[in-house]
Amino acid sequence: MDATLTRRAQRTIAYGFLFFILISMATPFVWMISNTFKEQSEIFQLQPTLIPEEPHLRNYISLFVDFDFARHFLNSAFIAVVHTASHLFLASLAGFAFAKYNFPLKNLLFLVLLGSMMVPLYTIFIPLFVLVIRLGLVNSYAGVILPGVAGAFGIFFMKQSMEAVPGELLDSARIDGASEFRIYWQIALPLVRPALAVLAVLAFMNSWNDFVWPLVVLRSQELQTLPVVMAGMVNMYRMEYGVVMAASLLSTMPILLLFLALQKQFLAGLTVGAVKS
Amino acid sequence: MRHVGLGNYTYLAGDPAFLKSLWNTVYYAVGAFLFILPLALVLALLINSTLIRIKSLFRIGYFLPILTSTVAATIMFLLIFNNEFGLINQGLASLGIPALKWLDEELVKISVLAVVTWRYTGINVLYFLTGLQSIPPELYEAAQVDGAGTWAQFRYITLPQLRPIALFVGVVTMIGSFQLFAEPMLLANGGPNDASLTIANYLYRIGFTNAKLGYGSAIGWVLALIIFGLSFIQLYLFGAFRKED
Repeated sequence: MDATLTRRAQRTIAYGFLFFILISMATPFVWMISNTFKEQSEIFQLQPTLIPEEPHLRNYISLFVDFDFARHFLNSAFIAVVHTASHLFLASLAGFAFAKYNFPLKNLLFLVLLGSMMVPLYTIFIPLFVLVIRLGLVNSYAGVILPGVAGAFGIFFMKQSMEAVPGELLDSARIDGASEFRIYWQIALPLVRPALAVLAVLAFMNSWNDFVWPLVVLRSQELQTLPVVMAGMVNMYRMEYGVVMAASLLSTMPILLLFLALQKQFLAGLTVGAVKS
Repeated sequence: MRHVGLGNYTYLAGDPAFLKSLWNTVYYAVGAFLFILPLALVLALLINSTLIRIKSLFRIGYFLPILTSTVAATIMFLLIFNNEFGLINQGLASLGIPALKWLDEELVKISVLAVVTWRYTGINVLYFLTGLQSIPPELYEAAQVDGAGTWAQFRYITLPQLRPIALFVGVVTMIGSFQLFAEPMLLANGGPNDASLTIANYLYRIGFTNAKLGYGSAIGWVLALIIFGLSFIQLYLFGAFRKED
């Protein structure tokens, strides 16, 4: 009797704490959504309103008309899609090679790869920028995309997953006369789909949310990506909070949808990755 | 091009703005260890406990903030921290507490830490959960047979078994803290009076705003050395170099 009572009390406290944190984390989101439908004066008013008094879509309209939101959204989408596709292809190809072939200097190359993961981004930031200038890629999509076209983390992650592909499967395909590329493409890749889902979410997220690199490389406003444009809206002399909130909300949507679509595989795959590293 | 030898590095040692950014960055890193990691561990322990049934709601719910871009998240908090009509000050006012200036010199680092905690707690909950789930249940069963209480089980099974994941989480948190960039830049532009400036912010200011590429690169290498050094110390303290018994 006494034991069940304390257990019930414990459960109440546990749920209470978990929900308290969940609500604290959700509040900024809810307030952001609510603010996108408000007039500036209602956002500023001293009694905050959760449900807008006179909801309207003028903030969203202004975003598309005054700030050319569609153009910047497409810039970000183009860069993120190319980044993600190249990341998935090159990382899985290199991971396949590291996991399933023997070649000269393999271990040394792998060590260099791991070592490069430990160098902080900001250490190579300026040399990388100088390189992009010398290549004449400043103010181009290529300048944003090329430095991140493949990544050490992705290759390492894919190698770990490719290790699990049974060698006999590959050998029997070889006996049937399949080319090495076809073995990679038609046998190995379908087997590592969960790992590809994880890498897809991470790569898309990194590129879509990247702020510093496009800020440095892109000069003309019409090429600029969403995060940089949104940051620019903050620095403006008079800030339209409702419009900025609408931009923040819409910019979060693609990643949210991608994550919810791949959520199961993502959480499972992340677990594997975390334990192995 | 002119060779300056180690000139950039000796200048760095006496550059007050760099030393301030170094101090601020250490402050953020210590704050992350004091706030994010204990909170994430407690949340993971609760979610993993038999008390809680709807686990995936919390796992996914806590993870969502990291999906928003740093820029979008920081803009959101800019409004929450606003002096006059920000959500926090309005909440304080309804409790009769006078408004605080969250983005002024005294409080700005706390505000940056709040945004960072909001964003990165969830992913650390996931990491700790994977660690908790990989502890063999037999260990707990054996301990219960021996009459160990909840605290003893936590102290002598859970904590030691969490060592590898705690090391991973610690190193990742430290590296992330030392590379903090967008939050302080967008919340307060590194200010006021450099109070929120991080090493990465200072590198950007020197290298790109002031176009001193050499000096900026020197800052980058000092940052790398700090991160290598602290990673090594963490690995050493966690016994990663010790031979297995």
